[in-house]
Amino acid sequence: MQHALVIAYGNPLRGDDGLAWRVADELRHNAPELARILCVHQLTPELAEEASDAELVIFLDAAAEGSAGEVLCRPVEAQTEPARFWHHIAPAEILSLCERLYAAKPRGFLLTVCGEHFKHGDTLSPVAIGAIPRAVAALCALTEREFYAA
Amino acid sequence: MAATKTITIDPVTRIEGHSKITLHLDETGRVTDARFHVTQFRGFEKFCEGRPFAEMPSLMARICGICPVSHLIASAKACDELLAVRIPPTAEKLRRIIGIAQVVQSHALSLFHLSSPDLLLGMDADPATRNIFGVLEAEPQLARDGIALRKFGQQIIERLGGKRIHPGWVVPGGVNNPLSQQDRDAILAAIPDALAIALRSLAWFKGVAEKFADEAESFGSFPSLFMGIVNDDGNLAFYDGKLRFVDGDGETVADGLDGADYAEFLGEKVEPWSYLKSAYYTPKGYPGGIYRVGPLARLNVAQNCGTPLADEELRVFRMLHGRTPASSFHYHHARLIEILHCVERMEELLNDSEILSTHVRAEAKPNALEGVGIAEAPRGTLLHHYKIDEQGLIIWANLIIATGQNNLAMNRSVLQVAQRYVRGEHITHGMLNRVEAVIRAYDPCLSCSTHAAGQMALQVQLLGPDGAVLDEAVR
Repeated sequence: MQHALVIAYGNPLRGDDGLAWRVADELRHNAPELARILCVHQLTPELAEEASDAELVIFLDAAAEGSAGEVLCRPVEAQTEPARFWHHIAPAEILSLCERLYAAKPRGFLLTVCGEHFKHGDTLSPVAIGAIPRAVAALCALTEREFYAA
Repeated sequence: MAATKTITIDPVTRIEGHSKITLHLDETGRVTDARFHVTQFRGFEKFCEGRPFAEMPSLMARICGICPVSHLIASAKACDELLAVRIPPTAEKLRRIIGIAQVVQSHALSLFHLSSPDLLLGMDADPATRNIFGVLEAEPQLARDGIALRKFGQQIIERLGGKRIHPGWVVPGGVNNPLSQQDRDAILAAIPDALAIALRSLAWFKGVAEKFADEAESFGSFPSLFMGIVNDDGNLAFYDGKLRFVDGDGETVADGLDGADYAEFLGEKVEPWSYLKSAYYTPKGYPGGIYRVGPLARLNVAQNCGTPLADEELRVFRMLHGRTPASSFHYHHARLIEILHCVERMEELLNDSEILSTHVRAEAKPNALEGVGIAEAPRGTLLHHYKIDEQGLIIWANLIIATGQNNLAMNRSVLQVAQRYVRGEHITHGMLNRVEAVIRAYDPCLSCSTHAAGQMALQVQLLGPDGAVLDEAVR
């Protein structure tokens, strides 16, 4: 059975950094059957085990760069060069762990929503709130395309 | 005046939080002094003032992303004292389960993610590969086991607390929701695999530890006091019990101490070169009252673990290292024994006939103006002490965190390792990594002091007496 996993990451107490979690909430509400959804503060190695069970992994993040409110999507490939372990790891490293630890090669995408304010607080900026429906639509379209269009 | 040099390791890597180490060398290149500086600042005790006491558990959980559950538990226990209630027995058992689930995931993080690169690949291995990714290349099963154990603990926290990080489920008077049969059965189903991994990891560790005999002799190997909570049988306890101090010979120095009386036997000293206070046992003064807490200390103060597999491993541990091992290198081994014990204990608790009871919270208004909560966090004994006014608002708070209680020992350990391995004017990665590795053995959680952001970089400079850079390493 085809299975998509959405990993929404960010800090909901740092303004628009919580965008991914809010998009995930909307997704759960509007399209609960679409994907399994995880909300985490940051990417950690153990997420690789969960991702290795999926065929499609969509990393959902807020971005400080870019035009506020813009929704961007790009494919992510497993990292091939040796990784460095800091306090967080990148989507490409999660896919690399999937491959090297669990012999799994899920297709990966990074969907970013550009935010505006990343200061302390649990509220999103108006422009970030306005981007949520577009992000949900982009996620639905991506999943549809990856699973069914071909 | 003799010419001196200073080596600075800033920051220390693969630990929780930010710090630096300075090594002071004399004119012959010998290390004469060493200091472990915590460069973060914490403010939780101050900015909680004025908040309603009922907010404290979830507020205090924000202190740390690794051990939020320990802060939840110690804070909620302090609030129980403010309510002056006995929480329902099932609530206490559920708190115990989430507490030891956190011990499992936190110990797994420390051993597998942070320290196993040194142990598997060697202290002198290329720093570019001496990390968890290097471990997965060299020993994929070990990396999978580390990930699986951490996931095991985190998923239990999520099932009970609703989320993996900063759950708010532990509240004054008990817990927010009972355990469902579905969640109980799911956790029980994962126990056999977790036990197998814990045993496999112990076997692996005992094998590799033989290669580190030299490090074991100098990684904080000195007599000190050890402190930890023991239960009524004198065995290992994480949630409740009395404090016990033993000395380096295993002799009991103090026993049956109530955590609420901590001010009578624990002092804290502020040093100008660190934001981390140094706790000490006041009857022996400062710094003579140096003591250690955490996995090694807990095993040293306890009679037994109290579960069969862990007790067998404890017997082997003591056969290998003596009744009261002095070297902080053995924190790693102790950590694995505790993981095994916690999984065993979890199975016992989940099979308790009352565990699915829905009576999980005692309701009350404040009945006392002061409360102390104490519990064993992964890194050692944790104390939360609050005072409130008649409206239930916090007017004063004091937290004594494990890492501060190990501060004197960490500083002494850094000096011992540096004097053993660092020589002359040329720095090698292996030398410096050993200095960092002894800190990792304690698994300090500096994030319990404050929150920090930014990428970990490492720049080490060896300065001559005139301040000239004699050698430099950057990564």
